[in-house]
Amino acid sequence: MSTTTPLLSPELLAKLEKMELVSRKIFRGRMKGERRSRRKGQSVEFADFRSYVPGDDLRFIDWNTYARLERLFLKMFLEEEDLHFYAVIDASPSMDFGEPTKLHYAKQLAAALGFVALIRGDRVKIQALGRSAGLAAPVLRGRRSLWRMLDHLQGLPTGEITSLTDGLKHFCLQNSGKGIVVVISDLMHKDGFEAALRYLLAQDFDIYVVQVLSAEEFDPELEGDLRLIDCEDGDVADVSVTGPLLARYRQTLAALVGSAREFCNRRGITYLLARNQVPVEQLVTGYLRQRGLVR
Amino acid sequence: MWPQLVNPFAWWQWLVLAAVPPAIIALYFLKLKRRPIEVPSTYLWHKSIEDLHVNTVWQRLRRNLLLFLQLLVLFFVIWSVLKPGWQSEKLPGHRFIFLVDNSASMQATDVAPSRLAEAKRQAIELVDGMQSGDVGMVVSFNEAARVEQSFTDNRRQLRRAVEAIQPSVRSSSLAEALKVASGLANPPRISDPENQQDFQVAEPQPATLVILSDGKFGEVSGLGLGNLDPVYRPIGSSEARNVGIVTMSVGRHETKPDQLQLFARLHNFSHQPASVTLELLLDENPIGYDRFEIAAESSRSAAFDLKAIDSGRLHLRAQTGDDLARDDEAWAVVHRPRQARVLLVTPGNPYLRIAMDTGMAAEIARVTEVAPAFLDTEQYRQQATIGGYDLVVYDRCQPKEMPRANTLFIGRLPPGGSWQAGSEVSRPQVIDTDPAHPLTQWVNLTSVVIADGTPLKPPPGGRVLIDSHLGPLLAIAPREGFEDAVLGFVLLDTRKGPDGALQGYLGTDWPRSRNGGFPNFMLNVLQYLGGGQAAMAEGSYRPAEQVPLENPVSGKPLAVRTPGGNAVELAGTPSGRFSFTDTTELGIYEATVEGKAVGQFAVSLLDAAESDIATRPGIQIDRVPVQGDAAPEVNRLDIWRGLLLAGLAVLLLEWYIYGRRVSM
Repeated sequence: MSTTTPLLSPELLAKLEKMELVSRKIFRGRMKGERRSRRKGQSVEFADFRSYVPGDDLRFIDWNTYARLERLFLKMFLEEEDLHFYAVIDASPSMDFGEPTKLHYAKQLAAALGFVALIRGDRVKIQALGRSAGLAAPVLRGRRSLWRMLDHLQGLPTGEITSLTDGLKHFCLQNSGKGIVVVISDLMHKDGFEAALRYLLAQDFDIYVVQVLSAEEFDPELEGDLRLIDCEDGDVADVSVTGPLLARYRQTLAALVGSAREFCNRRGITYLLARNQVPVEQLVTGYLRQRGLVR
Repeated sequence: MWPQLVNPFAWWQWLVLAAVPPAIIALYFLKLKRRPIEVPSTYLWHKSIEDLHVNTVWQRLRRNLLLFLQLLVLFFVIWSVLKPGWQSEKLPGHRFIFLVDNSASMQATDVAPSRLAEAKRQAIELVDGMQSGDVGMVVSFNEAARVEQSFTDNRRQLRRAVEAIQPSVRSSSLAEALKVASGLANPPRISDPENQQDFQVAEPQPATLVILSDGKFGEVSGLGLGNLDPVYRPIGSSEARNVGIVTMSVGRHETKPDQLQLFARLHNFSHQPASVTLELLLDENPIGYDRFEIAAESSRSAAFDLKAIDSGRLHLRAQTGDDLARDDEAWAVVHRPRQARVLLVTPGNPYLRIAMDTGMAAEIARVTEVAPAFLDTEQYRQQATIGGYDLVVYDRCQPKEMPRANTLFIGRLPPGGSWQAGSEVSRPQVIDTDPAHPLTQWVNLTSVVIADGTPLKPPPGGRVLIDSHLGPLLAIAPREGFEDAVLGFVLLDTRKGPDGALQGYLGTDWPRSRNGGFPNFMLNVLQYLGGGQAAMAEGSYRPAEQVPLENPVSGKPLAVRTPGGNAVELAGTPSGRFSFTDTTELGIYEATVEGKAVGQFAVSLLDAAESDIATRPGIQIDRVPVQGDAAPEVNRLDIWRGLLLAGLAVLLLEWYIYGRRVSM
C-alpha cells in the first residue's frame, strides 16, 4: 500500500532544507523568526534610509550622515519575523482513491511544505477538514518538531464527511491569525468550493489551493453498464459507458478545473492542479516554486 | 436465384430460435444487471449524463451499435444453421459442349419468357455448376452451327457467350452442330499407304454433349457420336399451342386472269381447336378480313381476292393468341407487271407464232419474230451483249455466241460444246415429264408422237425435264446467272423429199395434240424463262434462302434495306445480277440503286416444321435414342461457411468496438 511509503524521503528532505516559504503579504508573527519580513524593523540587516520625522525613535538616526549632510536620516533595518503556515487537508472518503491515494499524496505535500516551514522557524499547523480536527492539531515550530509533525500526519483522522464549506468555516473560526494557508483537496464537493474559499479570503490569508486528482479521475477506466455509487453519500448514477459519455465526462472535469482556476485567479488565490502520479518532490521544487510559494 | 435451404428444426425449435432476437433486445432494454462500482464522487458523472442519458427507446436503439451488431451475428448464425446453398446442376464428365438451339421454334413463349431464354438460363446454370478444371464450349445452331465460344475453363467467358446467343428465324438442323462438336471430340484418322496402320491425328477428346433444344429437327444419321456422350435437355412443353401460316402464295385468279388472288394455308398444331382472325394488309392498310375455327391438328385454307392490284406489299396477319408469334405473319410483294422482251428467231413456225399470240401470252411478253439472218446483224449483237432481251428462242438455228439472256433452243444445241447430243433416234417414246418444274407444269407428252429426236446430255447442273425411252428430250441448265433450255426435237422443218425437193416436215403432233398442253408449255416458257412469273407476283422467300436480285444499271452497287432498317451494300457486278443471302429477318426487303427503289422481296417463315412447336421428349442421333434428361443430378454449393465467416467477422468487429468503446 502506498500509505506505507514514507511521507518524506531523505533525498527530498535534503532538497527542502535549502528552501523557505514566501508570503506575498506582510504578516506579523507573534515571535521573531528567522525570516526577513518585508516589514522594516529591528534587525542587523540594513535596508534603507528615510527622512526623519518628528516622533521617530532617535536611536535609529544615522549620525554619520547628519555630520556630513546636516540633515537627519533614519536608518532602517529589515525586521526578522516568524510566519504562520497552515495546511488544511481534505480527509474525506473521496480522497481515499487512487494509487497512491490522493490523501497520501496530500499528506506528502503537507509534510514537505511543513518541513520547509519548520526549518525556517515558522509556525506550522497541519489539520484535516472537520469540526474537531483543528482542536486536535498541534502547533509546531522548529526542526525538532519534524517527527511530531510526521506522527501527527500519519495519524490524521480520516473518514469524517464534512463539506468543504463547513470545514473551512471552522478552520477560520479556530485560526484567527494571518499567514499562509494551503488547502489540499479534490474539490469534488457537491455544494461547490466557492463559498468555502470566500471564508479564507475574508480572513486575508495568503491562500494556496492544490487540487489533487487521481489518474482514474482524469481518465476513468470504466466500461459497460455500471451503477456508480458515491463513496461519501451513497448517491447512485446509472451509466452506460460509451465514447460520447467519456468525452462528456472529460469536458465536465475540464470545466470544473477551469472554473476553479478562474475563481482563484480572480481573487488572488494561487491554484495548482496536482495529479497523484506526479511525484511530490517535482511538485514542490518545480510547480510550487514557479507559483512562488517556496524559493 | 434464391438459395435452397435445409430445414434442420422442428416447429418448436423454430419458436425457440425465433425468440432469441427479441430476448437480446429485451435484455438491452431491461438492463437487468448493472455492475456496481464505488467512485470518489458521482458529482461529475451526474453532470455528464444529464445530456446523454436519454431514456427514450428510439435513442437507445440508435446509440446501441453493439445491439445491432449482436443481432447481425445472430442473423448470420441462424442463416448458416439453415445450411443455405445454391442449387446447381451437375453433369457427368469434365469437358462439355453446350449446343443451344436458336431456331425459329425456340422463340415460342410456352415457357416464360421464351424457350431460347430458358435454354440460355439452363446453360448458364450448367456452366455455373462446372467444377474448377472443367472446360466447356458453346455452340449455337439453327440451319447452320456457330461456335460462340471455343473450349475454355473460364466460366465468365462461357456465360457471356451463352448470353450473346441471339434468336434467329431459321429452321434447325442438329447435323451441322454435331459436325462441329464431333470434329473436336472425334478427330479424323489418316492413312499412310506405306504403312498398314492408321494414325490418329490427335488424341480423341471425350466430351459431354449437352443439347438444349425443343428437338424440332430431323433425325441425324451418318454422324457417329464416337466420344461424345449426348445429354438432351428438352426445352418447352409438348402441349404448346400454335397455329401458323404454313404456305402463302399470290397468283392469278382462276376465272379472272386480270386479277390476283392470295392463297394461304394455316395449320393448327395443337391438340385443341383454335380460333383465328386473319387480316390482310396492302401497304399496311387493311384490305381483307377473315375469321374461322381450325380443328385440332388440321389445316384450313384462306383465299383473298386482290382485285386489280398493280403493285404493293401484302402483309397477312393471323391473330391466334398462341405460343409462337413469328409464324403468324407472312409477307408478299406484288410487282407492277412488266412485259418480257422475247426474241423469236425462226425461219418460220406457225405453231410458235400461234402459241405466243394468245391473249395471256401477249399480256406477259412482247415477242419480236425475226429470221435467222438477223443473228448476224449489229443490232442483234448489241442487244444480246447488253441484255436487251429476257428470252431468245432459237428455232432450228444457233447464234455464234450465247446472248446475255435466257434461251430456248429447238432442234439445235447451244454453241460452246457444253451441251452434248447423241445421234438422231426415231420415234422416241416419252416416258417421264417433270411436273414439279415450272417449265413442264400442265404439260403431258405421254400420248404425243415424236418422229425423230436427239437424246440430250446437259452440262453439269442441268436437269432433265422430258425423258424418253431413248434419252432426254428436254433439259435445262444454268449458265452464268441465266438458264438455257434445249428441246431435242423439232416441231416443224423442211427436209428434202425422195424427189430431192424441199418439203414440209412435221416433227411431232404435240402442237396439235388435244392433251399435250403445248400452249401451256409456251406460256411456261414465257413466264419462267421470260421472267413473266416474276413480273406478276413474287412469293415469299424463306429465311436464309438466296434471293436473286437484278440491277437495271449494271456496275452500280445495290443497297438492300432489311425490315429492321439495316442497310446492306452489295458491290456492283458486270452482269448486274446479285445473290442476296443475308435474309435473317422476316418482312419486306427493299433494294435500291443510288437511292432509287429497284425491287422488293419478302421473307416469311412459312415453315411447317418450325411451326410445329410441340417439344419432343427424346431425339435420335444416328439411330441411337437420346431421352430427355428431365432429372439431372443436383449439385449443391453450400454457402453456410461464408455466412459463418461473415458472422465471425461481425463478432470481431463488435468485440473491437466494445474494446475501443467506439460509439456511433
